[in-house]
Amino acid sequence: MATQTATQHLKYDRTLGYAAMDARGFYYPVSLTIRPDGQMFIQGRSHDGDTRGARITVMDYESNYGGDFGSYGSNDGQFTWPTDIAVDSENNLYVADEYLQRISKFDREVNFVNKWGVKGSGPGQINGPAGLTLDYEDNLYVSDHRNGRIQVFTTDGEFIRAFGSPGDGVGQLNLPWGITVAPGGDLFVADWRNDRIQRFTTEGQFVRTYGESGSGDGQLNRPASVAVDEDGYLYIADWANERVQILDPDGCFVQKIYGEATDSVWAQDYLDSNPDEKGARSQSDLEQYHLLDTDDPHEIASHIEPIFWSPICVELFDDKLFILERNRHRIQVYKKNN
Amino acid sequence: METKNVELIAHLMRRAGFGATRTELEELAAQGYEATIDWLFNTEKDDGIEIDLARRYHPDYSGGLGMAGFNAFWLHRMINSQTPLVEKTTLFWHGVFATGYAKLAQGRVLMDQIEMFREHGFGDLPNLLVKLSKEPSMILWLDNNDNHSGAINENYGRELLELFSMGVGNYTEDDVKEASRAFTGWTVANTDYMTMKARNDSLWPYGRLNLHFEFRENDHDQLEIDFLGHRDKSAGESVVDIICQQEATAIFIARHMYSFFVADEPPVPSWPYTPPRDPKAIEMLVEAYFENGYQIKPMLQRLFQADFFKDETVWYEKVKSPSEVVAGVLRLTGEYDDYDPAMNAEAGSVGVMGQSLVNPPSVEGWHWGDEWIDTGNLVERVNFASSHFNDVTKPGVRQMIDGFVLSTGGHASPERLVEVCLDQMGAVQISHESQGHLVAHAARDGSLEVNGEDAGRRRVAEMFQLIAATPEFQKG
Repeated sequence: MATQTATQHLKYDRTLGYAAMDARGFYYPVSLTIRPDGQMFIQGRSHDGDTRGARITVMDYESNYGGDFGSYGSNDGQFTWPTDIAVDSENNLYVADEYLQRISKFDREVNFVNKWGVKGSGPGQINGPAGLTLDYEDNLYVSDHRNGRIQVFTTDGEFIRAFGSPGDGVGQLNLPWGITVAPGGDLFVADWRNDRIQRFTTEGQFVRTYGESGSGDGQLNRPASVAVDEDGYLYIADWANERVQILDPDGCFVQKIYGEATDSVWAQDYLDSNPDEKGARSQSDLEQYHLLDTDDPHEIASHIEPIFWSPICVELFDDKLFILERNRHRIQVYKKNN
Repeated sequence: METKNVELIAHLMRRAGFGATRTELEELAAQGYEATIDWLFNTEKDDGIEIDLARRYHPDYSGGLGMAGFNAFWLHRMINSQTPLVEKTTLFWHGVFATGYAKLAQGRVLMDQIEMFREHGFGDLPNLLVKLSKEPSMILWLDNNDNHSGAINENYGRELLELFSMGVGNYTEDDVKEASRAFTGWTVANTDYMTMKARNDSLWPYGRLNLHFEFRENDHDQLEIDFLGHRDKSAGESVVDIICQQEATAIFIARHMYSFFVADEPPVPSWPYTPPRDPKAIEMLVEAYFENGYQIKPMLQRLFQADFFKDETVWYEKVKSPSEVVAGVLRLTGEYDDYDPAMNAEAGSVGVMGQSLVNPPSVEGWHWGDEWIDTGNLVERVNFASSHFNDVTKPGVRQMIDGFVLSTGGHASPERLVEVCLDQMGAVQISHESQGHLVAHAARDGSLEVNGEDAGRRRVAEMFQLIAATPEFQKG
């Protein structure tokens, strides 16, 4: 299953992180963002039965742990159902929370700065902020998913404009999730329930769509996140197909990857300190596709450890693609083949 | 709409589902009883559960690290499913084939077992029992991973006969051994690692790893079995086929069905010494079992169409299980038609009342009926219902009060207040004694006037709270 097409646009590099509610690790992570200095901020969502993992973990590509901040709750600087995290040009951080209906801002030292958001459908009101991104002028874009639209704010929360409407027509959105501003300047939206990526100018003019419903090459099933490189290639977290797809600038299929995780540094540390589990694990075959009697990708992913399970966020940095898996609490890193 | 029809449909919906609102009852009663049964058994229609959204909003509804997320998702289904009988039958099988988190330490594998009941619970019993025998959750729960050729572990073979199909007194100790021998080599893949992770409650490094079945031929005793007077090849499937041909199995399943859907029977351990409450009903269900090739659906259809089910003497003769109490109240209050983190706490209430789903007290499951009620549990049940009916802004409570106003014009004597509130809560019938207490309470404040002002609406909600504390509401 971990095979790729002959094109090999991406090649597996390493795995980062592991499951933990405190200290090193993350617990049901939903988003990551990377500062220019390489510091990664991983937003943990945790779950309603145990909320200790609702926090932001800081680490780098070499698995150096940089601490954590934030916690579950509704006070300033806390999260209940966090969805996305983004960083601006001054290294301020923004976190969206779809339950509290607000955006929280933290400074470069991760101190809480302010928050905004009122539930509603009027200009500047939000209903389920799900995705965040900033353009090159530090305007903050929010996928206001239950309102089926994109809203634009200043970094202080002042409403600028909104575009899009609920539906499945051209330029309409159905529960949109991840968004990104491409190096070329356009906005790409993971139009989740419409199984497609939509492209707009940052002023909200519709440009085109990518993908359609399905599980074939170039088809999508509930895409959660999209990243675009300088050459215009799209990297899509094809969430319900449990894979990542790469499309070329014309929308043509390039490659699909299913994941091939190995033990991260933090995973190795855990196993080294638990030799019984390490020994039993080393005797196990964690890729027993032949014993499964299902073709449901979600079910398969629950059994086969190395492959993606709920790939929820894709992020480009230098020549690498970081793929965050919510249900496996880790990041798989792929490098571009230049 | 003739009241009796609505009340009969209400009885059906309490038993075949988790209750229904007054509006739903009227819609179903307009179609008629038979059409309602057809609707209940129609599994082709959309159940209304948006799994993609559930997984999006609740990571643990798919990740299954623990059991809390799964329980919350199941409760969401009980409240919102448009195929309530599927959920009710799934709960039925979970009670018969109780498997628990305590020994498994992950929710995902239990989700799969419950999903299997959801998918195959109406089908034929042999298929269900074979699938059950292959469920990794059951294999670990009853130690079949330790059942080896030449060194059998009888735990699963014994419980399959004693608690899952025939009942004590209908087989010999040799049959237990032969059944166990037939299941040697039925295990979970990566046994050592998986059992170690379960034992250590380890979610490291990358979360829970779902379990899958593996048949190990080299660990399977190939010698022909001599089981219940049949000689057959050694295979779990052979054992299941022979079990399903037995009248004892049909009676055992029929008694479970009667007890769950019709009227409380004593717990399973007393069945060998206690005759069924209604032997003729059991006979009818056994006939349906054999006439239809061991299919479950025809048994249930015959049950709901039978006079013994419709008869008013069995109405309110079942103590609601905690999941029925909680799902029933939340269906009425209408506050969880969307996804909400608070659902976890509601699911936790089910456990506090004594029914921690997918974590039964033992392989015997829960003892239903009067054993749901002790002093502490009763207080929990009443407080839960009371706290939810207390809020007049909840959509379902608002709708019931609006229905009350529509029926009464906003003016009601104490007697009329009680009568209409009972009707709005799902055509509930209570004893004269209970009704007398409620009327006496209502009479303290005299006749009721609801003119859009809060005090009047709160009095109606207060009556909902009091009705929820009656023995009849706590039964179903």
